[in-house]
Amino acid sequence: MLPTKKTQPKQDLADLTVLIYGRSKIGKSTWCSQSDGALFLATEPGLNALDVFQVPISSWDDLLAACGDIAEGKHPFKTIIIDTVDNAYRMCSEYICKKFKIEHESDLGYGKGWALINNEFHRVLTKMAFMSYGLFLVSHSVEKEIETRTGKHTRIVPTLPDKARKIVLGMVDLILFCDLEITKDEDGNPTYRRVMRTKPSPNYEAGDRTGRLPETIDLDFSKFIEVFNMPATAPKVSASRSQVGSGDKQSKVPASAGK
Amino acid sequence: MSTPMLTTYSMWSLFRNCRKACDWRYQRELVPLKRNHNLNFGSLIHECLEIWHRDRDLKQVLNFIDRACPNRAQEDREQRDWHLATAMMKGYAARYQTEEFEVIALEKTFKGKIVNPATGASSRSFVLAGKVDGIVRIGDEFFLLEHKTASQIDADYLERLWTDFQIILYAWYIEQTQGLRIAGILYNILVKARLQQGRGETEAEFEERRRILIAKSKTGKSSAKRKHPESDETFQDRLCAKYADPGMFHRESLYISRDQFRSLQQDLWELTQNFLDARRRGVFYRNTGFCFHYHRPCAYFPLCRSGGNPNIIENLYQQVPPHEELRDGESIEETPAF
Repeated sequence: MLPTKKTQPKQDLADLTVLIYGRSKIGKSTWCSQSDGALFLATEPGLNALDVFQVPISSWDDLLAACGDIAEGKHPFKTIIIDTVDNAYRMCSEYICKKFKIEHESDLGYGKGWALINNEFHRVLTKMAFMSYGLFLVSHSVEKEIETRTGKHTRIVPTLPDKARKIVLGMVDLILFCDLEITKDEDGNPTYRRVMRTKPSPNYEAGDRTGRLPETIDLDFSKFIEVFNMPATAPKVSASRSQVGSGDKQSKVPASAGK
Repeated sequence: MSTPMLTTYSMWSLFRNCRKACDWRYQRELVPLKRNHNLNFGSLIHECLEIWHRDRDLKQVLNFIDRACPNRAQEDREQRDWHLATAMMKGYAARYQTEEFEVIALEKTFKGKIVNPATGASSRSFVLAGKVDGIVRIGDEFFLLEHKTASQIDADYLERLWTDFQIILYAWYIEQTQGLRIAGILYNILVKARLQQGRGETEAEFEERRRILIAKSKTGKSSAKRKHPESDETFQDRLCAKYADPGMFHRESLYISRDQFRSLQQDLWELTQNFLDARRRGVFYRNTGFCFHYHRPCAYFPLCRSGGNPNIIENLYQQVPPHEELRDGESIEETPAF
């Protein structure tokens, strides 16, 4: 079963695993809904305003069942969207607690409960990522104070527990942070632009393994696809590592995260 | 010809334990973005001990601790470190009012060649550098002074000191570079008290506890009072009382056998050859048996698990030049302060 030729880099967005996160109501689900053959595994009611295919997911068992149906391949869908991965993790936690007849993850002692949850979560997401469909993971954002070697600062991160977040970040090809960019018009009034940030920064988590995306792009799926499908020219860059400014016209300071 | 690569025992030790982790740290120069608090307390105590053994002025040491924990009013962790370091150093100063040794040098760095013991030839690719906590004289013999903080001192801990090859290797280098004959190692061990500052209970917690007590009481009454948070003064007094116990400090002298020098040199030479081979072939394999060596994931676990995903590197790691221990005296601590 050894390979006879190399795998080619993935060219199609629907082949990639993407984490998209940001404040509530900024347009994450709307953006995902425009992807090719989108199917939502909806863990929370929030898609009422969208005309989409969705499977309501109220437990980890539901998610496993939906994944089983997707894996059979008897459907037209090309992109699977877990909306939200935060809720999916909570459901995974409930599933493990129920399975081991415990009330809380810590009841098993020595971190065993947490490890079981993370392993199950990792197992299922990995399996989904290996399926021949795009996998979009939607998450909310939260401001978190992190202490580095040089001091403390606030960073906007997806609302997942630390270990789960590391699992997800390690799996995905794109980490897209949906943000409001605040600039000032000629009269000094603030104007807001919904953007996606694609390069890592001290102030938020983001990343682009493909190297195709600019640092900031409008939160608009058609524009995103246009840029994504352009031949790659620029090498990968990171967002400016400078400290947070005061939000003037030039600075690309993220607005504070939603809940 | 290129200059030889600066190496430390920490690097060789990591290379021996897990080549991949060594690659991440010493070739790619990656460290986790998040600060490791376990290292902070050890560094703080090392610096306190340096000040104490240099000037023997407790006030200066306590001032240093105050300055090192500026946010203790807001930060629980810093507050805990401040309490523990303050009580520990007060106890240490009381316990060792007079010393049996004379301090020759403190925080002494060295740099020396790595020699092939079979031929006597020096490596053209590597040099070894390091830092010792101190060199002291007891009678007419020189010893390396090695500070350690430990959660507890038991038989296993003391047995393990014999396997502390790093300090034995350093002894050889100090002999070569300073021209002193090192008779042995004086381990200066300080135990970290496990006392916790009482946090008290909220009104709701108290009411819940009281309800349970009343339910168990035959009279249907309870005289329980709400537990209030322990004041800083009370907690510091409790810690100081703990550090009045002589068992919280321990000194252990070990003599070095000359045979150990030669076998360690052989080991080190072998590691250099393995490293050159790994670097030439670009193969630094993982030792998965080491991932949870300290009962917690290795600092590079998320990176290895993701197959070196650049998203993980860019969001969770930063580049820091290696061999920090030569700059700030960090030592590897295995357990949190509390």
